Amino acid sequence: MSAVDWKSLNAPHTYLYTGAMSSAGERLNRFALSLKNPANRTAFLAEPAAYVSSYSLTPAEVDLITRRDWTGLMQAGGHLQAILKIAATVGESLWHIGAHCAGMSVEQMQSACPRRLDGLPPGFP
Amino acid sequence: MGQIVGGFGISHSPSMGTEFDRGMGGRFDPRWQVWFDGLQPVKAWLSRMRPDHIVIIYNDHLNHFTFDAYPTFALGVAEHFPQADEGWGARKIPELRGDPTFGWHMCEQLVSQEFDLTVCQQMRVDHGIYSWMPYVVDAPWNTPILPIAVNMLRFPLPSPRRLQKLGVAIRNAVAAYGTGRVVVIATGGMSHQISGTRFGMANEELDRRFLARLGPDLERLVAIPQQELIRAGGTDAVELTMWYAMRAALADEVEKVYDFYTFPQITGCGVVVFEPRERA
Repeated sequence: MSAVDWKSLNAPHTYLYTGAMSSAGERLNRFALSLKNPANRTAFLAEPAAYVSSYSLTPAEVDLITRRDWTGLMQAGGHLQAILKIAATVGESLWHIGAHCAGMSVEQMQSACPRRLDGLPPGFP
Repeated sequence: MGQIVGGFGISHSPSMGTEFDRGMGGRFDPRWQVWFDGLQPVKAWLSRMRPDHIVIIYNDHLNHFTFDAYPTFALGVAEHFPQADEGWGARKIPELRGDPTFGWHMCEQLVSQEFDLTVCQQMRVDHGIYSWMPYVVDAPWNTPILPIAVNMLRFPLPSPRRLQKLGVAIRNAVAAYGTGRVVVIATGGMSHQISGTRFGMANEELDRRFLARLGPDLERLVAIPQQELIRAGGTDAVELTMWYAMRAALADEVEKVYDFYTFPQITGCGVVVFEPRERA
């Protein structure tokens, strides 16, 4: 289980999605979002290697997809909402992504949530 | 002239929608039964308001738009707004409809107030709207909606001040319409973060204070930087800034009609309903 810095806006605690991330993850996101189409989901599941080959991904990116390395995919510029489409296609969910990010099992994360904390932004009325 | 008769802010999440479907199948998860029950007064209020149009400020989650072309603000002008397939297949629910005559009016009025939105004549809508809609309106959904999609996914996001100004522009645009009763809804938030080690964080103090202060303290809320809202409430708490547009659209002063809050599992689920206060 990773130590959590509850106030941090930096990786691995928080991912603020920037333009630079969006450029880095451009092909990865295009691949992931293609899976919104049911026919593409079927094609990907039938022959993953053949399907991903049409998206100009790097070998490292393909490896992240194959290993379901959700955290690595986000660090490579994948947007959570795009990566979620890959998870959905392979039968996983947001819980798998969250658990992977936090270094927990899905069951541990489900029993930990909601992970309660408090504190207000400065100036909050 | 057109009249904004009230509005509310409400959370959304994919599970809110799928848990509704499960609930209607006879097996409501107890955590979501609480939310369903808590929204019954909102449903009754919305029915009493008899809206002719519902303006909805929301965010898409890469389910219609992709980063190939991702608008900061987009307006849906269409007869129908079909449900987007988010990767798990479509839910068995009816389609939301729109009114292009009202849509083009709003488009002209918003652009003339310097909100240069992207206009979409085809727009699939995701859980940003479809997740909570069945809790507050029984199907079929005959009242036309006007969806306004706001970028909440990739920095730079529109500023809190800009969203407040969007609300004022919506207010002016509705007033310039010939007729009709309009309800304005904003959806997103409350506290939640769905990636990183802070996944699943829940800040009930923040959420409850937000529901309490949005009515009287919009100016002070708007002054809070997005990053500080994210630090306290998680990355996706920034969606609360869309509620500023709803609040600003109503009136300078509002009456809070109802609010409710619960935290089922990953997302703080809140609602607050306002009506414009008549000037004496």
